[in-house]
Amino acid sequence: MRIKKLIAASIAAVVISSSAALAEFPERTVENIFPWSAGVAMSVSQIIAKAMGEELGVSLPVVSTPGAAGTKAFKTAMNRPADGYTIFDGYVAPLVLQPVLGNADWTYKDFKPLHSAVSNAFSIGVKKGDPRFKTFEDLMEYGKANPGKLRYSSGSRNNLPHMVIAKVLQTYGVVAQNIPYKTDGDARKDLKAGVLDFSFINVGAYLQDKEGFDILLVLSELDGAKKSYDGAPNITDLGIDTGLSGLAPMGWTWWLVHKDTPDEVADVLREAMKKAMSRDDVKEAITRVGFVPLEWDHTQYDDVVGPVSGQLGAMGNALKWEEEELKKLN
Amino acid sequence: MLIDSILSGYGLFMTPMAIGLTLLGVLFGLVVGALPGLGPLMGIILLLPVAIGLPPVAAMGFLIAIFVGGSCGGSISAILLPIPGTPLAAATLFDGYPMAKKGRASDAIGIAISASAIGGLFGGVVLILLAPALAQFASNFAPPEYAALAVTGLIAIAVISKESLLKGLIAGCFGLLIATIGTDEFSTGYRFTFDSHHMLNGFHIVAVVVGLFAISEMAYQTMSDDLIKKPEIEIARPGFGSIFLTLKHWKNLLRSSTIGAFFGTLPGAGGVISSFTSYAVAKASAGPDEKYGEGAEGGVVATESANNSTVGGTLVPSLALGIPGDASSAVLIGALLILGFFPGPTLFEQQPEIVGGIFLVYLASNIFLLIAGILATPLFVYVLRIPKAYLIPIVLLLCCIGTYALQASVFDLFVMLGFGIVGILFRAANYPLSPIVIGIILGPLLENNLRRSLLISDNGYWIFLDRPISAILIIVNIILIAGAVWFALRGKAHSNTALMDKH
Repeated sequence: MRIKKLIAASIAAVVISSSAALAEFPERTVENIFPWSAGVAMSVSQIIAKAMGEELGVSLPVVSTPGAAGTKAFKTAMNRPADGYTIFDGYVAPLVLQPVLGNADWTYKDFKPLHSAVSNAFSIGVKKGDPRFKTFEDLMEYGKANPGKLRYSSGSRNNLPHMVIAKVLQTYGVVAQNIPYKTDGDARKDLKAGVLDFSFINVGAYLQDKEGFDILLVLSELDGAKKSYDGAPNITDLGIDTGLSGLAPMGWTWWLVHKDTPDEVADVLREAMKKAMSRDDVKEAITRVGFVPLEWDHTQYDDVVGPVSGQLGAMGNALKWEEEELKKLN
Repeated sequence: MLIDSILSGYGLFMTPMAIGLTLLGVLFGLVVGALPGLGPLMGIILLLPVAIGLPPVAAMGFLIAIFVGGSCGGSISAILLPIPGTPLAAATLFDGYPMAKKGRASDAIGIAISASAIGGLFGGVVLILLAPALAQFASNFAPPEYAALAVTGLIAIAVISKESLLKGLIAGCFGLLIATIGTDEFSTGYRFTFDSHHMLNGFHIVAVVVGLFAISEMAYQTMSDDLIKKPEIEIARPGFGSIFLTLKHWKNLLRSSTIGAFFGTLPGAGGVISSFTSYAVAKASAGPDEKYGEGAEGGVVATESANNSTVGGTLVPSLALGIPGDASSAVLIGALLILGFFPGPTLFEQQPEIVGGIFLVYLASNIFLLIAGILATPLFVYVLRIPKAYLIPIVLLLCCIGTYALQASVFDLFVMLGFGIVGILFRAANYPLSPIVIGIILGPLLENNLRRSLLISDNGYWIFLDRPISAILIIVNIILIAGAVWFALRGKAHSNTALMDKH
């Protein structure tokens, strides 16, 4: 009897102490594991992290952990305890694209969502005033007439812009050579220097140097994205069917935690992030950089991310197609 | 136009907040630079959330001042301990520490700070006068030019390790091999990662540098027999006389600052390459009586003026084109964007007052660095009076904190320790450590730009000769290699003759 009482008391003590611990969450710094090198996207995460940290009452540093198309950051975060003190900055590349390409053994369902963060539309641009390419059709005609001769960059390889551009090129039957760069800025520099024929340009880069590029195609059917590029033609205008819609052809991130994180802890983080994302100062700062603040909360995660995963999975591996076509030419 | 933008920025800069934060940034930068592991990039990242809530010029002043102070701070620990606080100061070891050993620690630090500030101001003048033109010139540097330039950097190994060329080259090759670890940018395949996610991006350069230099140095210091004894060093008070000591080397100062600013304007090149190259050039053009490697003032002048002039240089493509010159300026661009300004040609046209304000905070940072740095030198030099028994554990603890803070990763601590052992072994066998750092930094620059060039040219090597700048660089490289071989053979012939004379 005494032993039973002792066990019961111990269990009660553990429950009380753990719930006390939960009640106090967070007691220390919460970290955001960011999958890319320091730059504009990281600054955007820092804006959200700062606001969310203020809501939580603790600091929330963003830790840059680049490598292997974002999967290094995911693996790093997965190896941390599921206690809510580690947040995955769930960019589409490591969250959805790499698993679709068979480079990661998780799916988007293996995480607990907190809140959507930001999106960032892509476009295809050429050097301002390039006499060869006034329109996207000019570019494609040139590409068809000169298979394998066009040089373009999507920043690094095997990322979402690479996949979407390869899909568009596949639609037109144009084979072009992708040149990888360490940073997007290096690729834009070489585009302006005439070393590359075209490149992916995100909204931030376009806003920074509108006079540097002619945007030939906005890789999204959303009106908001078209507006960000001052009305440049988008995939709907040109009747291009990539099989991608909504968030699928864009860069975006949802903040997530480990699947085994206790609900009480996840709820504290969700609440704080929701408050942070609805603050006007946060929205304004994000918009200024050319990113779009997203308003979906965790309950809409499956509805939003599910179709993206489905569409990217169904569009076929355009990257493989590009590689094989280039091999045939050599 | 230029004067107009500076004048219009004057009002934004001349506020107590902007001036105060610039000064605070320089001091904070000196501290994060001096602490092993942390550096200007980490300092800027740490304080970005604070800065983005401030008025734009004050915010940029704060962050740029950290960049300036942090680029100089590493020299303080390099001279005193001798551990480069940042990879930027790895070349400052060569002559800074021998100067300190000769009892000239204050002079060495004074020269490092003066050279940094003057080099930084030079970089600033370049930034102000030539930003748009230089940015245009730098845009001519495409993958073939970067590949050729990386070869020039590797040749620097031959110059800086004149005494043990073969050992220097072996150490450099070791660095090149280490650089191959991680994810291949082109095939996205993993190389030597042994199924560990920690290795997917290779080893962090800072963890490697701290391990190689700090851990091995501390291990060697524990072997000395004066662990408890309080060092009785008579430390001369440094003064503003260091500025004159530095200006005595005006030719070196001008040349190294030019090299630094040039490398700064090339996105991706950075301060480490510029400081090693400036050192190599200074050493090659010095007379034998200057005794580089044994405490030559010129060695410190060359490396420190170059790496701080690079800061001004990196702001050129960052502000004029919106393309970051290096990782630290990428964060600065991020800050500027958050503050609502788009770096690039339009910034110069539409918001000249912000450009002017940034020019002013950059110049002020270097002036504050000169004054505050020299005034604070006695505090730094006090480190030399701490008995080793206390100093060694404190340094080791700081190394661990700084290295862990890089990516909040325990693995980085093991990397640090592993390279500590490598450092001990290399030292024991009398192999130089700096070529390893050059190899690790230049390896990816060379490999990726070589492969990128071949992809662009469709596997034709003519791309390297078709482009004029690349062709010139390759010719310079051939001359440098021929010169190094000739000097090595002549040195061997001399030593053979000397040996025969002896017998």
